[in-house]
Parts: sequence; C-alpha cells; structure tokens
Amino acid sequence: MSATLPPPPPPVAGHVPTLDVSGTPRTPFTRLIGVEWRKMLDTRAGVWLLGITAGLLALIAGIVLLIVALADVSPPSANDWLNILTIPVSMLVPVMAITIVTQEWSQRTAMVTFALESSRLRVVLAKLVAVMALGAATILLALVLGLIGNIIGAGLAGTDANWNVTASTFGWAMATQVLYLLMGFGFGLLLLSSPAALALYYVYVWILEGGVIIPGIMYVLWIAFDWGQAILPWFSMRIAMLPFQIGDSDAASLENDLGANLDTGALGLAHVFTSVLIWVGLPLVLGTIRLLRAEVK
Amino acid sequence: MITVDRLTVSYGGFTAVDDVSFVAQPGRVTGFLGPNGAGKSTTMRVMVGLTPATHGHVTIGGLRYADIPNPGRHVGTLLDASAQHAGRTGREILTLGAQTMGLPKTRVDEMLALVGLTDSEAKRRLRNYSLGMKQRLGIAHALLGDPSVLILDEPANGLDPAGIRWMRGLLKGYADRGGTVLLSSHLLHEVEQIADEMILIGHGRIVAQGDRATLLASNGTGAATTLVTSLDNDALAAALGAAGHAVAAAGPGLRVTATAAQVGQAALDARVVLTDLRDGGQNLEDLFLELTSSTQRDVLPNGASA
Ligand SMILES: Nc1ncnc2c1ncn2[C@@H]1O[C@H](COP(=O)(O)OP(=O)(O)OP(=O)(O)O)[C@@H](O)[C@H]1O
Ligand SMILES: [Mg+2]
Repeated sequence: MSATLPPPPPPVAGHVPTLDVSGTPRTPFTRLIGVEWRKMLDTRAGVWLLGITAGLLALIAGIVLLIVALADVSPPSANDWLNILTIPVSMLVPVMAITIVTQEWSQRTAMVTFALESSRLRVVLAKLVAVMALGAATILLALVLGLIGNIIGAGLAGTDANWNVTASTFGWAMATQVLYLLMGFGFGLLLLSSPAALALYYVYVWILEGGVIIPGIMYVLWIAFDWGQAILPWFSMRIAMLPFQIGDSDAASLENDLGANLDTGALGLAHVFTSVLIWVGLPLVLGTIRLLRAEVK
Repeated sequence: MITVDRLTVSYGGFTAVDDVSFVAQPGRVTGFLGPNGAGKSTTMRVMVGLTPATHGHVTIGGLRYADIPNPGRHVGTLLDASAQHAGRTGREILTLGAQTMGLPKTRVDEMLALVGLTDSEAKRRLRNYSLGMKQRLGIAHALLGDPSVLILDEPANGLDPAGIRWMRGLLKGYADRGGTVLLSSHLLHEVEQIADEMILIGHGRIVAQGDRATLLASNGTGAATTLVTSLDNDALAAALGAAGHAVAAAGPGLRVTATAAQVGQAALDARVVLTDLRDGGQNLEDLFLELTSSTQRDVLPNGASA
C-alpha cells in the first residue's frame, strides 16, 4: 500500500499560530499562463479542437486549389484567401476561448484552480493570455496557408499572384478575429456554461451578423431598411467595421445598394466603438465581475 | 492552525453555517463531524475562499487564505475528489497541480507512490477511476505541496478498509510532525479513531467540541455501563446484583451499570471466568446522534434523544 512518507511539514514553532510564508513567493504570472496553456492541450477534447481547426484550414485551402486546378476559374486573390480562411478561424478559435473558461465550471476544476491561486483575476488574465497565444498561432497558420495557397493558385492558373490586401484591410481582419476571441471569452465568463456561451456566440456571429457567404439578419435589415441603416451600425460589429474593411470597388457597389455613403469618419469609429462595447466590453466586464463573486463548488 | 471566528454563511433566508467558531490546532487531528447538510463542506469552502462568508472570518496560521502566497505550498485541500476534469489522467491532474505550485515533476511520482496508485492507474483518465482511486488521487493532490495544514472533506469516502487504515496512519503522522489536520466526516467511527479533537456540528451550529473524554464527560448520562460475557453469566449476574449493580441480559452476555473495574472485581470475587469485558457505556455514537438528533433527517428507531 504505502511507500515512504512525505518529508515532514515545516515544524510549527511551539504553538505560535502564524504561518511562515516568507519563503514562498507568489505564483509567477508566467507560470499561471503556462498551466492554462497546458490545460488547453491535455485533454482529448482540446487536442481534437486544435486538430479540427488545423485540419479544416488545410482542407478548405485544398478544396479551393482543387477548384482552381479543375475548373476554369480565375484564382482567388490574396483578399479572397483572407476572407475564406478567416471563416474557420472565427468558427473555432472563439470555441477555445469559451471552453477555457466554462470547462472549469462544467468539470468543476475551478475548485482546485482557485484554491491554488486565490486571485481569480490573475487566473482569468492567465487564461486570456494563453488563449490569445493559441488564437495567434491559429491565425498565423491560416495566413501561411493563404500565402502558399495564393502562390500555388496563381501557379495553377498560370497567372501572377494577386496581392491585393492593404495594410488597413489586413489590420481590420486581424482585429475582427481578436474581437471574436474576446467576445467568446466574455460570453464564457458571463454564462459559465459551454452550451449557452457557444449558442450565444454562434447566434450572434452566424445568424445576426452573417459572413461573406451567407448574410445575417442584421446585415439584411441594414441593406433593406432606412431604420436599419440608422440603428444597426451601432449594434453590429460587422456592419460597423465593414466601411473600414471593404475594398474601394466593393465599397462603391455597396453604397449603391444602400443608397447611402459608408462612413469611415468619426461616426464610423463611434459605430465600431459602441458595437464592440456592447458585444465584447460588457460581457468581459460583467463576466469577470460574476466570476470574481461566484461561489465555487 | 485554523481559526474559524463567528462564521455565518447564509443562502437567501437559509443559514447553512450559523455563528460557528472553533480552532484546529497544529499537532492535532481535528475531526469535523455532522449529519448530511450540517454545513461542514460549506465551512471548509469558506476556509479556502471558494465560498464568501456572510459574517465572521477564517484565518489559517493567522492569515486570510487570499493572503497566503502560493497557498498550495501551505494548505493542502481536498474538497471534492471528483471535481477534476474527467478527461485528464491521474498523472496529468497531479502534474498541473505541481506545475502551478512550482514543484519538480518527481513530486508527482512520489505522491502517486504514496497513495498507492500504480503507474498504469496513473495513466488512466479520471472518468475511468473508481471512487476510492479518485479519493487517493485527491489526497495525493492535497499533499503535493508538502503543506503544514490539511483541509480534507470526507477523505475516507470510498476508501477500502486497508485504505482507511493507511490514511489514518498518514494523517496521524502528519499531525505528529506538527501539521494541522482538519477532516470532516458524517461517520463517527471513522473520525473517532484518529481525531484528537472533535467538532460536532448540526444544522449549521456547533453542538459540542473537545476530545473524546471531554465530550463523553460533559455530555454523557453519568453512570458508566459495561458489557461482559463469562463462562457462567448467571452466577456473575447474581454476584453483580448482590453488589448493587443493575444487570440486564445483552446478547450473549450482560449489560451492567458499573465500571469495568467493578465488574472485574465482582467476577474475581465470584471466581467466574470472564471471556469478554468492555466499555458498553454511552458511546460516542449515541452522543453524536443525540446531540444532532434535532437536525437528523431520519427518525431513529429507539429514540436516541431519550
Ligand atoms: N447555494 C446554496 N443555496 C442554498 N442552500 C445551500 C447552497 N449551498 C449549500 N446549501 C445548503 O447548505 C447546507 C449545508 O451544506 P453542506 O454541503 O455544507 O453540508 P455538509 O455538512 O457538507 O453535508 P454532507 O455530509 O452531506 O456533505 C445544506 O442544507 C445545503 O443544502
Ligand atoms: Mg459535505
């Protein structure tokens, strides 16, 4: 049954009721990040999620190239690649951000986590840093695949590769991915339940906002109605950011559809700020407050 | 040393822990006893800052838990052995703990060996662990940081008899070396044999505390009783009766309202061979049931509240 006993606990001098903590520094933040990083990768669920993300990115890139090779179409430009490959990123990276928080509650590991680090805020920040790093790695993979895809696609079609991505477009695309990640993280904190947070995230991103391929409800209303144009840019991050992301030629045709100008001035930035505040800022703040106060059991 | 000072925890209108104060001393094993729902786990969660206190506070070695840096190195906790990720292996769970506390990997192997989990068991995922294996892993986790204070919620839960005996020895050794051990249970006989000190809680209130002798002395019904069996029970009963002790048949022997010494003396005088002689007086279990009876959820068959 038993092997050696553990080394004796530090002797308690007489009955002096104080704990000598002088020799124990606070757990370094980097170590907390390391632990949270490890927690994302040490279960089958975590490994599958990463595998699916990487696999999906490679699969989509492969399919696009296959179409270019077999059908007589012009190859996708760098901008197309960016649009295509950020879809799987925005589908899966926020799932990591959600589960890194909610898993502690569904698996009840929060009891151990917070017993080993009393500052819940430090744990939350360590989780955020860890999942951001993972998100960054995923985006990097998508970018590398897009880069290679663009070169191969052009090669297959026998044309010159089209590098039509401006710094601004690229910046906004990256910002969008980071915001989606933060949004998932905030939803996780706020709801402390994987299914609820995932449902909210997907409803918002795929049903309300929509993507390049299938427009969402808010997008449709925005195009179709004057009141939509007045209100929805305040509530939809996608609509608010669109004027900044869109290429000049697309902007012209979109303005034609809308019958109005896209605003990239102060009002446009106010739209971005407000919608981000609603969907990212508030969930993060309220969720953190909830987590700090919650009873853990 | 754990100091609980006038602790109250309320959930809405319901008071789960009601003005509880006690001290778990270093060098001793303190048993925290009470029926289901008495408030033991709630009190322990407050100790490590997982549940907020409504009133009062808890300090460990004079510090609030939140003020203890790297608390796993000072306070080992086992609050719920199944509160671990079902998809992680036993070894991985300990590795995460060791990494958080900044301990070398070898510590994980030491702890696995200590609690008797084999290499192949440590490679299994927690969802495939038996209750007792989870419990052993939980104890290993609590001991990882070589803490001087242990807070264990029902550590014996699910352990086999050999495991319970082993744990008893382990905790006793820990206390003997100056550690503070607080363990909860709703099974008296589990705690009785290791605890130097017992805190009895019912319905969120402390109903009695002290060591075994103090508890029995301050709350017992007074007269000692002894259970005795001999080769000639009739002759012994007659001798005891003559000496003025009340005697009643009990199983294969007799229940006598007298001390064991008095019964032995009577047997010696009557030249009757004793085959069994033991304390049959109000035992701790009766006392425990009596003290917590107003909070007990099951009606006792023979009215222990009498
Ligand atoms: N969030 C809550 N809301 C309402 N009541 C609660 C809540 N949490 C705990 N309680 C109640 O507090 C009481 C004390 O529970 P606790 O878990 O501390 O009991 P216990 O002594 O550990 O019991 P057991 O021996 O069964 O483990 C119970 O009646 C429980 O239902
Ligand atoms: Mg309990």
